Amino acid sequence: MIHLLIFLPLAFGLLALLRPGQARLLGLVGSGATLLLGLAGFAAFLNGADGSYQVPLLAEAGVYYAVAWDGAGVVLMLAVVVTTLIALLAARDVPPAMVGLTLLMEAGLIGILAARDLVLFYVFFEATLIPSLLMLGLYGGAGRVRALVKFAMFTLVGSLLMLAGILAVRYLGGSPSFLYGDLTAHPLAGSAGMWAFAAFLLAFMVKTPLFPLHVWLPDFHAENHPSGLADAMGTLYKVGIFGLFRWALPLFPEAFLSFQPWLLALAALTALGAAWTAYAQTDWKRLLAYGALSHMGVGALGLFSGTAEGALGAIFLLAASAVYTGSLFLFAGGLHRRFGTLDLKPTSGLAKSAPGLAALGLILVLAMVGLPGLSGFPGEFMNLLGAWQASPVWTFVGFLAVIAAAAYALGAYQQIFHNAPDKPAADMDDTEWQWGVLATLVIVFMGVYPKLFTTALQPAAEALAALIGGGR
Amino acid sequence: MLLLLILLLPLLGFVFLGFFGRQLREPLPGVIASALTGLSFLLVVAAVLSGGASWEIKDWLPGIPFSLVLDHLSGYMGLVVTGIGFLIHVYAIGYMHGDEGFSRFFAYLNFFIAMMMTLVLAGSYPVMFIGWEGVGLASFLLIGFWYTEKVNADSARKAFITNRIGDLGFLLGMALLYSLFGTLSIGELREAMESSTVLPLALGTAGLLLFVGAVGKSAQVPLMVWLPDAMAGPTPVSALIHAATMVTAGVYLIARSSFLYANLQDVSYVIAVIGLVTAAYGALSALGQWDIKKIVAYSTISQLGYMFLAVGVGAYWIALFHVMTHAFYKALLFMASGSVIHALGGEQDVRKMGGLKKYLPRTHLHGLAGALSLAGFPLLAGFWSKDAIITATLTYPFGGTGFYIAGLAVAFLTAVYAMRWYALVFLGEYRGSGKPHESPPVMTLPNDVLAVGAIFAGFLALPEPLWNFIEPYLAPALAHVETHHMSLGVEWGLIALSAVVALVGLYLGYLAFNRWTLPAWYRTFQSWSANAFYVDRVYNALIVNPLKELAFIFALFDSFLDTAFVALAGLSAWLGERLARVQAGYVRVYGALMVLGLVAVLVWGVLR
Repeated sequence: MIHLLIFLPLAFGLLALLRPGQARLLGLVGSGATLLLGLAGFAAFLNGADGSYQVPLLAEAGVYYAVAWDGAGVVLMLAVVVTTLIALLAARDVPPAMVGLTLLMEAGLIGILAARDLVLFYVFFEATLIPSLLMLGLYGGAGRVRALVKFAMFTLVGSLLMLAGILAVRYLGGSPSFLYGDLTAHPLAGSAGMWAFAAFLLAFMVKTPLFPLHVWLPDFHAENHPSGLADAMGTLYKVGIFGLFRWALPLFPEAFLSFQPWLLALAALTALGAAWTAYAQTDWKRLLAYGALSHMGVGALGLFSGTAEGALGAIFLLAASAVYTGSLFLFAGGLHRRFGTLDLKPTSGLAKSAPGLAALGLILVLAMVGLPGLSGFPGEFMNLLGAWQASPVWTFVGFLAVIAAAAYALGAYQQIFHNAPDKPAADMDDTEWQWGVLATLVIVFMGVYPKLFTTALQPAAEALAALIGGGR
Repeated sequence: MLLLLILLLPLLGFVFLGFFGRQLREPLPGVIASALTGLSFLLVVAAVLSGGASWEIKDWLPGIPFSLVLDHLSGYMGLVVTGIGFLIHVYAIGYMHGDEGFSRFFAYLNFFIAMMMTLVLAGSYPVMFIGWEGVGLASFLLIGFWYTEKVNADSARKAFITNRIGDLGFLLGMALLYSLFGTLSIGELREAMESSTVLPLALGTAGLLLFVGAVGKSAQVPLMVWLPDAMAGPTPVSALIHAATMVTAGVYLIARSSFLYANLQDVSYVIAVIGLVTAAYGALSALGQWDIKKIVAYSTISQLGYMFLAVGVGAYWIALFHVMTHAFYKALLFMASGSVIHALGGEQDVRKMGGLKKYLPRTHLHGLAGALSLAGFPLLAGFWSKDAIITATLTYPFGGTGFYIAGLAVAFLTAVYAMRWYALVFLGEYRGSGKPHESPPVMTLPNDVLAVGAIFAGFLALPEPLWNFIEPYLAPALAHVETHHMSLGVEWGLIALSAVVALVGLYLGYLAFNRWTLPAWYRTFQSWSANAFYVDRVYNALIVNPLKELAFIFALFDSFLDTAFVALAGLSAWLGERLARVQAGYVRVYGALMVLGLVAVLVWGVLR
């Protein structure tokens, strides 16, 4: 089942690359079928089937092809398959090759989430980078080379160090294989554990991202294709929090606890600083980049609390923010199609001529603000409950972002949609209605009935908290 | 299920009108929205009569149920919200006549009712927070309803952001309670607190944090600045959201949490002081306003201050009594103002009114009833509830004589500005141009109902030895508080005193604003008051603008960080280039380097 989920988009992706003429159709069919498979996988998971499967790849080296779902993986997988479909629906006038690359990224992302062998995880983690780099390098804006070098350097430096950590954790820890179960049974203690953890941490901090390793992010988004397709996929690719949840924290609970106070501070400062910086932006994609960065800070704050509530909140927030942040990038793409610019204020009073667009924009922006009833809230709230138990002070600092978010998000929204009407524009067309309604349904459902996802997440979150001793 | 329906009906109206409202012809959207709110009201009545109900989804979030509870407290509040809400819906059919956004307006109003009822019926704090933020959103949408004016859009955002400051307090308060008790269900917390061994300091902090939320939502000092600006919304919105219901949510929150606050003397003292300061600030600012709605808006701030004074001294039921009477007379004042504005084609400056008694006889009576009730004219609703609050500062445990005197002084100011409002609008000669016309029955009929409430609602709870229906009804849902008993003679003496204060205030107000020319010192005060003591300007200079500047400094720092990383990369490139020169390709160079290296190793080895 999981294999199909990984290889179906891979196959469709390759096919789309080979047949650029049918790329859009192949993209929609491929991602649509993957969505259905993903839903089936989720349903099966809720009924107790984790789809686990393993077969040796390099038996001598202890490397397996091992995949399975746990709560975190399966919920994030849903976010991936939904967002990919939304993105491919929304981005209709992109170069055909981007469709293929998108599907390749989808396959890689599902692999990252399902992998239960550290080497396999690493392979997926790195392989996904390739289509992402290609999209930026081939179809980015004028400053794409600079952005690409920055993105690649940060990612590669981080993950090469992690590779060293991967080797260390197995050979110094004495585990018979790279399988998750074996590795966690043979923890690497002492100073070796510290260094290995630091290597993992660096790689995942780049990918979360956390201050000060977020420097690649604003340029990455600002220079990517204006349609927002690459940005939506790039948002999904920010799997740092998941990497910490699945690998770094369970493998090095002891090292984590000694880093914890610093990590909480870093997360809180990321949350607040990014939200504040977002207020000063004049470009949609940079604004969204900083806004999403702030959310990752909140998620990391929850995760680093070491509590079940926080861990659950972090993954929920990651899944939710992938959907609404991705959708917001696509929304900005729609504005770009209308006005030819990603400037924050291409017009004003747009709600007059495009009320449908105004409504969709408001829903997406409010999800980002974390309004209860929409998908941004449950994760944020659980993060709050978890983080407070670890550090009330840093929780206060980080959650000041709640106020800042209202300021930058509503400010940006009103600049376009409110005030005296300027240049009018066409309201939503059929395609926009389709993806808009889909995104809205997901956002509202996650906000109104989070139970479906938290029930899946809870055992995984509790297991993590138990492993690192509740964080206190 | 019945409870869920109370929320779902207006929510359905919101969704339906949101999607299809524009296809419907006026007044159909208004009729649909009013009917759904009316149905909600009937459902609340049915639930109240059946003695209560509850409904929940277990583990909506892990350990946190989505629970709705209709007990005496939420039933009482629900009746006020849906009842007054229904009247205002009907009124708005007339008021919004001909507006381009007619159906959008009613969609938002229904959304508000749904969210407000979520807030009221919530059985746990997170559910209350859903409604809490939801009404904030409704308020944002409705303040900025005429969004093509920049002022309106800015006021809407200001309200939302200011409220969010309070909401952060609410959020952190929930986090603290959760870390102490492991639950956020109000019922469970109430039980847990009875046998609590938690440190009073922690509980006090939780109480203060929740109160910060209430301060934001109910526009108390220092977060009151958004409410006057909120008058940018259509007048029915001001009546419904920014007078009768939403802004009292903070009072409701404290009353809901009375089991917590009844044990927190210091926090209660803070609440009472903030309430009193707000009451005074609102009254002093109301005195000098020139906008017909802003007078009423500052008056709302002041009256909310009274309610916080009441919960602060521990008189929870009296605060809720005042919530109800205030809902009647303040909604009436706003909607009478709306009728006046409607009649004058959008004019809001009281200096261009006057003499409207002659042109708008019905509205005049509404305005008179509302103003007298607000002023505390003996036997009217506002008299009984406000007097109950002032007296409570002497009999309830956290009260004191200082509160009593200050409360009475503010009551005097209230009577003065209420009369000023009435005199400038309705008495004297008409100072504007054009011919004012009375509003249609769809607007005056709801006001008739409200006027009846503004006059008679006080008779639901009279001082001893007369009857009191409200206190015993609410008692099971509120914390039990021991009161000092007061002899009947003293009690009625104080009642007479506050009646005299109100009458003197009214008379002075009449003389001052209808007869006298005011002295120079008053004109100085007038200009300070008209600018609400420049609080907005101070906030902008000291807080808002520096924070905005700081955002740009943050952004600058971020690009500095970027440069630093690029420089780091450049450094390694430079270093690589230098080292590359060593790879010259000549054997003699490599040989020389080998010898040098060997020497270096040997020297290091020997010296070690």
